[in-house]
Amino acid sequence: MKPAPFAYVRADTAADAIALIDEDPDAKFLAGGQSLLTLMNLRLARPARVVDIGGLGELNRVFDDADSVLVGATVRHRAFETDPLLRRLVPLAADAARHIGHVAIRNQGTLGGTLAHADPAAELPLVMVTLGATMYAESRRRGRRAIPAQDFFVSHYTSELEPDELLTWVRIPTLLPREGWGFVEYARRHGDFAIAGAAAVVGLRPDGTVERVRAGLLNVGDRPLLVSGGASMSGCRPDDELWRDLAGEWVRQANPPENADYVRDVARAALTRALRAAYDRAVSAGGE
Amino acid sequence: MSGSDTSWLGQSLPRHEDQRLLTGRGRFLADTARGCVHACFVRSTQAHARVRSVKTGSAAALPGVLAVLTAEDLGLDGAHLPMLHEPHPGFAEVTRFAMSDPRLPILASVRVHYVGQPIAVVVAESRHVAEDAAELVEVEYETLPPVLDPTAALAPDAPTLHAHLPTNEAARIEVGFGDVDEARRAAAVTVSDTLRIGRHGAVPLECRGVVARVDDRRDRVEVWTSTQIPHLVQQALCRVTGWARDEVRVAVPDVGGGFGTKANVYAEEVVVPVAARKLGRDIAWVEDRQEYLMSAAQGRDQVHHATLAVDANGRVLSWEDDFVVDVGASSLWTAGIIANTAIHLMGPYRVPAMRVTGRAAYTNKTIVAQYRGAGRPEACFALERCLDAAARRLGMSPEEIRRVNLLTADDLPYPRPIPYRDGVPISYDGRDYRACFDSCLEMLPRTVCDELRENYPEHDLGYGVATYMEATGRGPYETGRVRLLPSGRFEVATGAASAGQGHETTFAQVAADALRVSPDRIRVGNGDTDPVTYGVGTFASRSAVLAGSAVHLAATRLADRACGYAAMLLDTDAAGVVLGAGGFRADDGRVVDWTDLAAAFGPGGRLEGQPSLDELAQFRPQTVTWTMGVHAVVVGVHRDTGLTSVLRYAVAHEGGAEINPRIVEGQVIGGVAQGIGGALLEEFRYSPEGQPTSTTFADYLLPGMCEVPQIAVKHLYVPTAGNPIGVRGAGESGAIAAYAAIAAAVDDAVGGGDWRVTSVPIAPEQVRAAIARRSAAVAS
Repeated sequence: MKPAPFAYVRADTAADAIALIDEDPDAKFLAGGQSLLTLMNLRLARPARVVDIGGLGELNRVFDDADSVLVGATVRHRAFETDPLLRRLVPLAADAARHIGHVAIRNQGTLGGTLAHADPAAELPLVMVTLGATMYAESRRRGRRAIPAQDFFVSHYTSELEPDELLTWVRIPTLLPREGWGFVEYARRHGDFAIAGAAAVVGLRPDGTVERVRAGLLNVGDRPLLVSGGASMSGCRPDDELWRDLAGEWVRQANPPENADYVRDVARAALTRALRAAYDRAVSAGGE
Repeated sequence: MSGSDTSWLGQSLPRHEDQRLLTGRGRFLADTARGCVHACFVRSTQAHARVRSVKTGSAAALPGVLAVLTAEDLGLDGAHLPMLHEPHPGFAEVTRFAMSDPRLPILASVRVHYVGQPIAVVVAESRHVAEDAAELVEVEYETLPPVLDPTAALAPDAPTLHAHLPTNEAARIEVGFGDVDEARRAAAVTVSDTLRIGRHGAVPLECRGVVARVDDRRDRVEVWTSTQIPHLVQQALCRVTGWARDEVRVAVPDVGGGFGTKANVYAEEVVVPVAARKLGRDIAWVEDRQEYLMSAAQGRDQVHHATLAVDANGRVLSWEDDFVVDVGASSLWTAGIIANTAIHLMGPYRVPAMRVTGRAAYTNKTIVAQYRGAGRPEACFALERCLDAAARRLGMSPEEIRRVNLLTADDLPYPRPIPYRDGVPISYDGRDYRACFDSCLEMLPRTVCDELRENYPEHDLGYGVATYMEATGRGPYETGRVRLLPSGRFEVATGAASAGQGHETTFAQVAADALRVSPDRIRVGNGDTDPVTYGVGTFASRSAVLAGSAVHLAATRLADRACGYAAMLLDTDAAGVVLGAGGFRADDGRVVDWTDLAAAFGPGGRLEGQPSLDELAQFRPQTVTWTMGVHAVVVGVHRDTGLTSVLRYAVAHEGGAEINPRIVEGQVIGGVAQGIGGALLEEFRYSPEGQPTSTTFADYLLPGMCEVPQIAVKHLYVPTAGNPIGVRGAGESGAIAAYAAIAAAVDDAVGGGDWRVTSVPIAPEQVRAAIARRSAAVAS
């Protein structure tokens, strides 16, 4: 489990990293290394050159931007759990992040890394899709472009990023008043890739009835799956049964490649609980 | 000098080795590799294929590569490892035992039988370069259809995997007594089932590894290997190469876990020293995890077709089982596994009639060795599952049916009409198995489920119980050596290598007890063929029994001889000298101690030139001694996902004298952890093409801290006269009944219906489907 030979270069700035990748589109960015290094050690990935961006301090920052938060690509998963600002502004991500592997992994793994890796079982991609985040990619040729999270994930381990693009920032909308969130996943053991998982945001009207529901599933297909349609909860005060029915309807949109009935069953349980948690939080956030 | 009047046996002293191991100062195989060049094996990528050609040219040309060697290059063409176990002829005759020798080549050159099988070895300046070169070795295969199902492998029309053998049968055995057919006629209930125990095995923290150093001065090679059986490695190495024993030293560094997988001799343990001698270079092979999960010996993988007949009161009338063991491409331990399985099918019960047939089959999966329990967990699973099924049919509780059948003080000792593997007629030497059962239920009664229920609103709780027998301390012998050092301290060596079991502590306690000194004056070396020429090794719950007894004998003899020397120093008669905590005392009260004695051997001393105080002893038990035990467990089954959590666990066992009770407890707890893994998580899976798919820890799931609850252990002391220190083995006790107990608890949680756990690891999707069917039934 030693990697094939590769060249290593460390970028000092984001501009530097973009320039380095521009020279050599066969190179790969190395951020926290929690996926790439494993793949390299298994010789499943064989980049001729890696450009190390893990230490880029300029991207390891968070800006509170009123109705959204701008998070740098090298912000660690652990920060979503521990950083008071992030916890307050993106509590859904804090809830999701604790399911990512183990603390040692979360101390290294980065937001940009997990998004670019585009593993359909990963937690933060689902969070971004559910919250409607926007990814910013930069390259010498194209400059900066914004990609909505929903369009960002293409398939297994494939994102919209071009080989010469660096994912620099992610703009995550913060929750509105009267919005609540829920994240639930089930795995064989804590820290394993989930059998299935769900994220949900529920927003209430001032009268306490549901205004909107946004939810998604992880590891039920080739990318994080945003679910929609079905019976409208708009104007309702749903009880557990209703949420369960809605989840049952929504998981039918999933087509898990293996063990489909079981995975849908688990996804339904996760989604039901995520929706309920989101609703309960919205209610206690002042919906009524 | 500190002496002691207290007995050191039975004390839970802190483990001596933990000072070193827990502060990062252990020296494991990789720590001994300094200055070595590195080996990397080229392994088969095919489960079953003819090898057309192996081209090593471009690999050998890579800068930093010293050699790329095939079987032919190493003079190992056609060489294979010897089988490690054959049963006693008396046992073989009674059980119509037969086995075949697969003669799996040390390095494959004609045909490959599993993915991961070694074909060639690259020796290079670093492991990195060696891996780069290994990729450049071109092996041309002509693929053959793989055989992956053991029952299919035994079918008459199955393609034969080993060309020199007529069939794929690795071994067969028949064990029986009583008139099964007659007994069955009187049955109130007869249950039949097919029960599967999946393929999993030991996954120690430390993978395998070998360092071979060429010692030109002594004209020998020194082999350091992460093994439980250095003497058997030496023996096999000599057999394959024709080297004399004194041309090879095999020594064992600290070993980070073995559990049976390292009680095996591997092709790599031959290739590395042979290559070292050929190249005249010190070579290290340090296995990585992926390599381990693909090519180290695996375990279990059995299917049982069992039928149990009971009367209206639940009493066992007859017990039949026909089982198949999948030993993969080869096992040097087939005889042990199949015989263990057959023998342990009797359980701790009154079984008046039994008919067991077992076969082992070759397939195109990874090789197999003994894994903690080695047939016992499989046997226990078959019998205990059938008892649960019979109880359900009779409307009895699982506890009741066991209490009806368990042997009691009135039955024991309980002879069985068949011999053990050593040819000696079996006699269970326990005290009261039903009492042991009751004491386990007292620790963890079924009612605990009711107390826990409200804490687990999303779970259904279930209770399971299972019992086991374990024959421990198998012979033929083990060696112990005790030597007085110049400082007055002692060095102990045995043939039983430690893989983390705490030998440094327990053997020091045994020696200290006989020498009447504090254990901190005793150093225990690890397995090494230098200080101990002949030995067997650590497996089959035998080290405390055999090596412990051998150390006891050697230390006792040393103390006796020392009394004679002490008498010389005291100018008195040996008969008047008594060894006590303070040293050797003459009848007039004068005393010399071990330090005085050791000093007297020095130049000019009173004992100068006398034969040193250095004793070697062999202990040969008459036969095995039996440990019996009971597991009880509470599980929570998550209704929506079918995932099972183990919430409470208790083990009671009838054991012998405990050298160090805390170490015994640790053995039991560790065994339960591995049992939980095998029952719920661990499985070596293969694709239809025979590609192993559990080659990382993302796919091979081990139980961690969150999956293993606190485990209560109760030790019921039952002495044995089978060895001088009165101990019984306990190394495998924890693993054996965990599968059956957890399966029973999951059944109980899911509750009712026809569904029951018949295979492990328990698949959450099956549990979930059973729960869904139950809910549907309730709704309709």
